[in-house]
Amino acid sequence: MSGAVQSRPLMTLRLSTAPTQDVGAGPHGKRITFPIIGGSFEGDRLRGKVLSGGDDWGLVRADGVIELDLRITLETDDGALIHMTFEGMRDDAAPGGPYFRTLPRFETAAPKYAFLNRLLAVGVGEIRAEGPVHLLEEVL
Amino acid sequence: MQSRLLMTLQVAVAGPQKIGAVPHGTRVTAPIASGHFEGPRLRGKVLPGGGDWTLLRGDGVLELDLRVTLETDDGALIHLASFGLRHGPPEVLAALARAETVDPATYYFRTTPRFETAHPKYAFLNRLLAVSTGDRRPAGPIYTIDEIL
Repeated sequence: MSGAVQSRPLMTLRLSTAPTQDVGAGPHGKRITFPIIGGSFEGDRLRGKVLSGGDDWGLVRADGVIELDLRITLETDDGALIHMTFEGMRDDAAPGGPYFRTLPRFETAAPKYAFLNRLLAVGVGEIRAEGPVHLLEEVL
Repeated sequence: MQSRLLMTLQVAVAGPQKIGAVPHGTRVTAPIASGHFEGPRLRGKVLPGGGDWTLLRGDGVLELDLRVTLETDDGALIHLASFGLRHGPPEVLAALARAETVDPATYYFRTTPRFETAHPKYAFLNRLLAVSTGDRRPAGPIYTIDEIL
């Protein structure tokens, strides 16, 4: 990073989604919900699968930006459960190309992964044919 | 991950309001009395009336929830809301509690500011995410805020 903040890779998160639920126009914008039915994550310090039952609640604002609000549960390969949320922003019409960034947060009771409770993270997202892929970095 | 400097933000904290033990931890609210911000694309002052709603969790991590209004030097108002985390070695946190100046590299103080404005000149702020590094000074924190590119 050229700015003051340093980061390092945390994980690559791949999500599988069910058909989008187009809720329609609400008081804050157009609501679209992306159900998450599975996926996987992998990094130096943790890996495992995404449990089904999560969602990403999207809100299309009047200025065209989609605000994202994700909640999922991760299960590590050694059986720990991790509650993960992110708020994010997707601006497909950004001047420099699509802007898809997120701010993930984690909660876990597993001592081995308690470091996740104490960090902030940034994600760079990308929509691929098989579903969204997020490259998550820990903010150092 | 790429980023670039958005601004440095310095706020002055008024007397903390110690709410005490609440269901999620120990809550202290720090009203913001004033401040200023400066970056390549915007500069101005912090209006009085904001605050940082802090919660000390059971695991020793301080959660921060800052809300302030910025006023640019050309009169635009910008709503800033920022979630953050602060933690570090006990002796470093004790020095901070004694209002000493501490090397910010010795503890973790990071936030993720979000902006909202109605002013067209600053509408780019509505469309970006940011990360900041905090430096807790006796008079109040200084945040170096980077735009996530």
